[in-house]
Amino acid sequence: MLLLTAMTAPTTNPRFAEIESHRGYLVRYALSQLRDPQLAEEAVQEALLAALEGIGKFDGRSTLRTWLTSILRFKVIDIQRRLMTERANVAIDDERLVEDHEAWLDEMFDETGHWRSPPQAWNDPEASLEQRRFWEAFEMCLAGLPSTASRVFFKREVLGEDTPVICKEEGITSSNCWVILHRARIALRMCLERTWFGRETAHGR
Amino acid sequence: MVAEEEDLNCRAASRLLSLACERPLDAMELRALKVHLDECLMCTNFETQLRFLHKASQVFRDGG
Repeated sequence: MLLLTAMTAPTTNPRFAEIESHRGYLVRYALSQLRDPQLAEEAVQEALLAALEGIGKFDGRSTLRTWLTSILRFKVIDIQRRLMTERANVAIDDERLVEDHEAWLDEMFDETGHWRSPPQAWNDPEASLEQRRFWEAFEMCLAGLPSTASRVFFKREVLGEDTPVICKEEGITSSNCWVILHRARIALRMCLERTWFGRETAHGR
Repeated sequence: MVAEEEDLNCRAASRLLSLACERPLDAMELRALKVHLDECLMCTNFETQLRFLHKASQVFRDGG
């Protein structure tokens, strides 16, 4: 932050305030991917610097936020690669990780394969998209997922990346990727039903 | 008698619904899923919720 302010004071770059206004979102994004406030700050810092340098190349075809996020994505991936190299033995956890997810999924269904906590009919979910408090609940539920599940879900559903690309970045097989995404979706739907849609659907159809 | 692979329970049906977000299901998977969804309101709710999660994620990206 200090560095950014020192290098590009608001007076020297007319887009500074506009770019800076997205910082909150960018930090949340970086945190969701990196799970480490310091690393997230580092990624955002680098992305904002790159954005200020390259703002001339922003053609306005996407929103500024989307453009900034795409820059940040590369910074995040750089940091993730660095971490992977630093922790070369990270892959040994892949198997165990998936066993954990499968065990968690086992818990969601009874012996005959029926839902233990059956999905309800949500009342007018579209209307929720307009409500600020819904997004707080959404972010909280996303943050409550195990870190891999949260990261994979974010890349898949929020960023719309292809599953094979995500699996490769994460260094896991497609079928493991699917299990993780499946868990993320079930956990998110349960969390939203509990924290947001719950009261409305207490008498759900 | 229904073939065994068509006789899904909720656990298997939900897995297929989630999988359908990653790749197109084949004819046999689709048929089995349809048989299950025709009778199971809970999994039908789950399917609707998956669609909503997808849409909410898109809106989230574009600024909430």
